[in-house]
Amino acid sequence: MRFIFISALKDLRRLRRDPVTLLTWLGIPTFIAAILLLIFGRGDARPNGKLLIVDQDQSIGATLVAGAFNQGPLSSMISVEKTSLEEGRGRIDRGKASALLIIPAGFTSALLQGKAANLQLIRNPAQRILPEMIEEVLSMLTDAAFYLQVVAGDQLRTASARGVPSDASVAQISVQFNHLIEGTRRYLSPPVIQLGANVIERKTDKPGGFAALMLPGMLYMAVFFIAGGLATDVWRERTSGALRRVSTTPASFRAFLAGKLLAVLLVLALVGLFGLAVAHYLADLQISNYPLAALWIAISGCGLYLFMMLLQSLASTERVASMLSNFVLLPLTMLGGSFFPFDLMPSTFAKIGRLTPNGWSVSQLRKILDGAAVSPFAFAGVILFVAGAWLVVAARVRRTV
Amino acid sequence: MIEVEQLRKQYGDVVAVKEVSFTARPGEIFGLLGPNGAGKTTTIGCISSLLTPSAGQIRVMGHDVVRDGVAARRSIGVVPQEIALYDDLSARENLSYWGGAQGLRGAQLRDRITEVLELTGLLDRAKEPIKQFSGGMKRRLNFACGIVHQPKVLLLDEPTVGVDPQSRVRLLDLVRDQAKGGACVLYTTHYMEEAQSLCDRLAIVDHGNIIAQGTLAELRALLQERDLLRLTGVFRPDVLREALSHLEGIEIIQLDESQLSLSVVDASHRLPSLFAAINAAGEVRGTTLTQPSLESLFIKLTGKELRE
Repeated sequence: MRFIFISALKDLRRLRRDPVTLLTWLGIPTFIAAILLLIFGRGDARPNGKLLIVDQDQSIGATLVAGAFNQGPLSSMISVEKTSLEEGRGRIDRGKASALLIIPAGFTSALLQGKAANLQLIRNPAQRILPEMIEEVLSMLTDAAFYLQVVAGDQLRTASARGVPSDASVAQISVQFNHLIEGTRRYLSPPVIQLGANVIERKTDKPGGFAALMLPGMLYMAVFFIAGGLATDVWRERTSGALRRVSTTPASFRAFLAGKLLAVLLVLALVGLFGLAVAHYLADLQISNYPLAALWIAISGCGLYLFMMLLQSLASTERVASMLSNFVLLPLTMLGGSFFPFDLMPSTFAKIGRLTPNGWSVSQLRKILDGAAVSPFAFAGVILFVAGAWLVVAARVRRTV
Repeated sequence: MIEVEQLRKQYGDVVAVKEVSFTARPGEIFGLLGPNGAGKTTTIGCISSLLTPSAGQIRVMGHDVVRDGVAARRSIGVVPQEIALYDDLSARENLSYWGGAQGLRGAQLRDRITEVLELTGLLDRAKEPIKQFSGGMKRRLNFACGIVHQPKVLLLDEPTVGVDPQSRVRLLDLVRDQAKGGACVLYTTHYMEEAQSLCDRLAIVDHGNIIAQGTLAELRALLQERDLLRLTGVFRPDVLREALSHLEGIEIIQLDESQLSLSVVDASHRLPSLFAAINAAGEVRGTTLTQPSLESLFIKLTGKELRE
């Protein structure tokens, strides 16, 4: 029993003397996370674009068009800014806006009189979704204007032809609009088709947005790298003869491996706490779940460590072990939600990814961080796997000494 | 005490140790002398229970290494051929780890670490990571890790390989001190001089067999104070064998078309008559005369040099 602590202390001391290696294992996912957060931002994952409007008409028509983008959820995705033609073209050329809309002089008058009017939309080719959305909204507005012309064209023409309308004209047009509405009421109200709407509450507004989406996977990338890296240490000990020397002492090989496992557990718990602190800062994750999350990271990380150790013990040489390790580690990291969060993956890949050891661990961590209940069987399962793998790996490594 | 009886170790069809039997007693340095691949390291591996023997019995301080391995290992200290240390730990930390693996703890471990550091002349460098040590210093620390728990049986597997002469002398003194202290020391080497100067008793190993064993005096007696004469050149073996058969006190050890090895009584006085006989059956191009030694005994027993 005492040798377990001696063995763990030895590995922790060695790791402390070689901080560069640990920093490299941590550095790769940190670097990738930093790049992704720089690109996508740390906050909301929803897109945010800018529509520039050049209003050469200076009338109510332009205000109505701009107003269409300030309605409902569209207003949180697209902000509208009026600008001059010259500045607008300059900004769209520099890629500083999603689209530029030019409303020509006489647009409102043409709209009221049922004449043809052209709106010019210049899209930013570097963006795909937002300019598409703006174009769709404008298309709907055009349709709406057409139907307005069909049902109330006469009234609109009358109103626009008389200049400033008299009280009598306003009253006449009001009466005509009232008749028009009364005439169409049976089609519009009540609706011919009754729509039943059931709102299924779906928790999509998790705190932290993109950062929260990415960080659990990134954390497991670091855990997997550390587990894989520490597992290769067995080759250094084998090459130096230290493993053979251990075999000639009264200490058991299982105790030797248990010591290594204890060191890995402590390192991963620290890494987990550090990673979660970063996640808290970047993604506003709930702090009450941190101890459980750190424990999960450490225990499941030990499982990954033993999995990588098992691979190492299957290899005949250090070179083969390294190749085998990379061959397994990289695809699993990609599939297991570390490079691409499951939410952004095609559903088939996400399903497969969640079945990988690291992907399953990431899913459980997400549950813990979201405050959802994690099955005690998950913890028990991992602990059982660690215990079984420990016995198998100890026997295998002892055999290859 | 180490008792090895009819030890055999094979890997599939490859037999590393055919049949080895010997007894090494407390306070004695017992040497296993043989070329690389003779089976010395395999023998030590079986004694230290690193390897499981295919057949035979090994007892260390009365404990069977297979059936009662842990008890046997408690008495054993191993100094392996390779420097089995952690480069990124200091000398003190390495000793603490290996001492802990042997069951030492607390003040006993601390005192013992200081003692062996002093003994091996590493006390002033105890806190440095050993990757900064010279090869000789690492060898001494490797030795220190093997004796930190004061083992009753010390197994040394070519501990002086690649060591500078100064460190070698120091290491050999340390080995002698262990034997004087009552430890049973098993020492493998392929250096004749080391074996001659260090070992109380010796076993000469070749191809997994012990071909001779005893004290140095007993082994020398096997040579009957004969010199070893080795000749190279171009020979007609049949003619030469016939020519030499008429000379007394000469034994042919090896003879082929290019080499001739002879065991000769008082060779230096008999060279003229020898050359007369040999020149009649060939042409001599090189001559080496060796006084009786382990080297010549090894050649006499195996027909080859130890370093071959």
